[in-house]
Amino acid sequence: MMKLTAFRIRNFRSIIDTGWQSLSPDNITCLIGQNESGKTSILEALRVFYTETISEDVLRSDLSLPDVSCRFSVPEGWLLKITDNPGTELKELLSGTSHIELTRSWLPDLSSVLKVSGAISQYLDSLEDAWRIYLGDVTVKMEEELENISSLEKALENVNLKEAQIRTKLPNLDPKKKGIKSLFKKNPAEEVPLIAEDPALIVELNEILKQKEKLSKELSAKQLMKKTGETWKTLLDKCTALENHLGELSLKLEERHQQMTFLMRQDDEDDLAWKNVLNDYRITRRDRDLTKADLDRHIALSGYIMDGYNERDANAKVNEIIQSYKSQYNSEILGKKYFEYCPVFEVFEDFGSLLPNRIDMDDIISGNDKVEGYKAARNFLTIAALDYSFFQQPSSRILKQKIENLNYTLTTNFQDFWQQSIGRNNKIHIQFELDHYNASCGDKAGKPYLEFWIKDEGERLYPKQRSRGVRWFLSFYMELKAAANLNNRNMVLLIDEPGVSLHARAQEDVLKVFEDIKDKIQVIYTTHSPHLVEINKLHRILAVQRDDLDSLRSTTRILDPLRLSAASPDTLTPLQSILGNPVAGEGFSSKKFNLIVNDTGSYYLLNAIIHLMGSTTKISVIPSTNVSSIPLLCNVLMGWGLEFAVLLFENDKENQVAGLLKDTIFRTDNSGRDLIIRMPETFYNAEDLLSTLDFKNHILKTREGITVANSEYVRDKKIARGFLFSRFLTEVTSGNLKLSNFDEESQENFRLLIDVLKGVK
Amino acid sequence: MVYRNHNNLDLVNLVQNQKIEDHLASLQYARMIQKALLPEPEIMKGLFKDYFVLFLPRDIVSGDFYYVFSRNQYICVAAGDCTGHGVPGALLSILGISFLNDILQLKSDPKANRILNLMREKVMKALHQTGEKAETKDSIDIGLCIVDPANGKLQFSGANRPLIRMRQGVLSEFKPDKMTIGVAPLREQPFTNQVLDIMPGDTFYLYSDGFSDQFGEISDKKFKQKQLKKLIESMSGLSMSRQKSFLKETFYQWKGNCQQIDDVLIFGFQI
Repeated sequence: MMKLTAFRIRNFRSIIDTGWQSLSPDNITCLIGQNESGKTSILEALRVFYTETISEDVLRSDLSLPDVSCRFSVPEGWLLKITDNPGTELKELLSGTSHIELTRSWLPDLSSVLKVSGAISQYLDSLEDAWRIYLGDVTVKMEEELENISSLEKALENVNLKEAQIRTKLPNLDPKKKGIKSLFKKNPAEEVPLIAEDPALIVELNEILKQKEKLSKELSAKQLMKKTGETWKTLLDKCTALENHLGELSLKLEERHQQMTFLMRQDDEDDLAWKNVLNDYRITRRDRDLTKADLDRHIALSGYIMDGYNERDANAKVNEIIQSYKSQYNSEILGKKYFEYCPVFEVFEDFGSLLPNRIDMDDIISGNDKVEGYKAARNFLTIAALDYSFFQQPSSRILKQKIENLNYTLTTNFQDFWQQSIGRNNKIHIQFELDHYNASCGDKAGKPYLEFWIKDEGERLYPKQRSRGVRWFLSFYMELKAAANLNNRNMVLLIDEPGVSLHARAQEDVLKVFEDIKDKIQVIYTTHSPHLVEINKLHRILAVQRDDLDSLRSTTRILDPLRLSAASPDTLTPLQSILGNPVAGEGFSSKKFNLIVNDTGSYYLLNAIIHLMGSTTKISVIPSTNVSSIPLLCNVLMGWGLEFAVLLFENDKENQVAGLLKDTIFRTDNSGRDLIIRMPETFYNAEDLLSTLDFKNHILKTREGITVANSEYVRDKKIARGFLFSRFLTEVTSGNLKLSNFDEESQENFRLLIDVLKGVK
Repeated sequence: MVYRNHNNLDLVNLVQNQKIEDHLASLQYARMIQKALLPEPEIMKGLFKDYFVLFLPRDIVSGDFYYVFSRNQYICVAAGDCTGHGVPGALLSILGISFLNDILQLKSDPKANRILNLMREKVMKALHQTGEKAETKDSIDIGLCIVDPANGKLQFSGANRPLIRMRQGVLSEFKPDKMTIGVAPLREQPFTNQVLDIMPGDTFYLYSDGFSDQFGEISDKKFKQKQLKKLIESMSGLSMSRQKSFLKETFYQWKGNCQQIDDVLIFGFQI
């Protein structure tokens, strides 16, 4: 259900922030770039988004913690189905959502939290904000109230002091000494009889006693609030202390990360002190969160107590208000929930994924992925639908027979699946056997292991005895087959430099396999190989390079297909390499007429037009890297003795080249052929062969008014011709665009072009 | 005090009248500019065997315009109707004339539909129309002909405005594309080019919708397209100047004391 459409990586190795990068909509995305540019880091970041586990070595030197966000497309309304009882607003939001974003952020202890981000979290955060504002308001009110209580207490203290002072001036009124107890009733506020020597003092004393009574009453009414305030302060102090402690621990963790990164050391599992710090951090973090929740609740409670509720009623009201302000969901809860449906991110790597010669059953059973070939062996058992109980078959005859049957089935399936020729005569047999270590193997004696063979025309060899290429194909096949057994969950297959050891043709076969599986499995791969990049599908490419190409300390930058022209020539090496040899079966040809055009943009467009017109003219269009390279290309083709001509459009650069070719390279040609084909002057470049309207509708896919020639528009707007025209060619060759979709102006121009080309032939 | 109040009122009236007069003066000047942009009768006389232009703006300036341009053996004739009337319509009409002038400078042989395609690009760019909801939807309806007398051909392309041909008393209507020169509701489509043969004595009419949309005093109904076509049919055989007078009389007779609702333009020409 969930399909990965884009990612964003922050603070991961050389990456500071990739920004949102969209994956190719046709499920195959290719990362190109020089060594150390950060391609593998991107794959790793996506892997750990899924697996969660990272080590210090992915941290940047400033130790800022990584986060990886993935955007998934989901069917509209689907989120509603998997989210139990959302509130009204959340329900409305979820019903119209067709994309979700999940972000995994790592904490100082290198554990992580996964949250839903984007629009859903914005909504949840707004609820949290409203709750915070409410608590803030209550806190302000509470602080005023506590200040008020404090003022009352001070006032009472003053009154008591004054009372004492007056009483010292009225010794004869001391009831204990003068025996006038009866003068003072139980109620101290009762008026003192006028028997004192100084009546003014008596009046003052009476006044003070009244004040005292009033203050005491007020304070007595605020006793509950005072108690609440004291609890609040205690909780606040606890929270602050935990926060401070957490800060200290974070610093310790950071120091440790620094040290480990610097020393390039792995975590030492026996380092007790370090383990204590980690435990302390996790416990403190949990305590901090709990205390904070208690504090929030207590603040809300205080609000109701200030409003005059008793403790029990106030508690009930707090439950109500929490429900009204806070959803049952937060970003973390939903993040975890949606992650359950997230595609499985699998890495296909050379070490663990290549089929081993032999692997212990114990290692397979215990899931020891550190053993070489573990993943391949596990895949093997998965596709053979075998578990440990299979190998406990008491009858060795039946077991052997079963294994033989399985070997046959697997081999047949593999040969059906893999149409390409691998090995001699395409007859590779996969074979596995169960055996036991003999007595000379010490601890392992008697323990079972699996042994793999690849048989080819009677020759029985261990996988490692076969070429790495064959091993790669076999192991990749098993990975895909095992993936097919995933419980209806989509899969994102991350492959670092696939088929690096394969022959060029075999690498092209890898691409074919990607095409075959792309409807079921999304593939993201890195490559340096021009044979693993399709020039017709530039929309699949993300170019990865450093900000400063000469510095490994600079950050990684990703260029999407529309900005490929901004990539450095080194980054684009795989693309540059295939210019002149664009697609299999084409390129320089001795059987066809070679037509050199100014660049890849024109190459795509002209091929699209030739395809649209259904021209049977045997022409191989050869793109030059740019106009100035045309003479060089002509030299090469002349040297090879190939038939060719140069198609030139009416612009300054190509006019110059036309002159140069006539004066130099073609001067020696005595065949009388016209090796330069000029288009009429209204065509400044290949895109001018389309009417403005068709150019907008079928290539730019925009509706804004264009009042200049298409080529001028492309130049002014700095449009990536290669990408747009490659997409156009794909649409034409896939049959989405037909000649009838173009207006008569374009069609007339297309006919003109084809006539010109026929004329040359 | 009363006397002073009177004095103030007079002053206010004076200022207001002055403002209205200034306003009218500037509109009159705008009309002169608009008129200057329309083709001169002397030039048109040289291009057509006979012709007339019935041009009755509703306000001082008009949202309707007519256009004639000649290059090599081609004559371009057009009658346009911009959304609205008065000043907004006039501004758009000036843009339309300017765009046509621009487009017809192109060296290649003119094609009526391509002119409209290009004109739409220019209008959309000038009005920043990109198909978004909140943008101006102003546009120009136009009928445009490219006449090639040497080869006896006439190309017609119409944006919501048709072309009428009278041949030996028989009326033929050439339908336009149901699109305007401006952003389309869904997606812009190319205009179509209709190529007709010209016969001696053929008369062609391009017109805005002002005449047929005019409400009549007596019937309180619109004149309608059907009646206009009948009227044109009935004028067959009359000289072009008589046709103009006839149309004008009919229009005012129909309108009576009703208010003119839109600019009126009918451009008739014989090759």
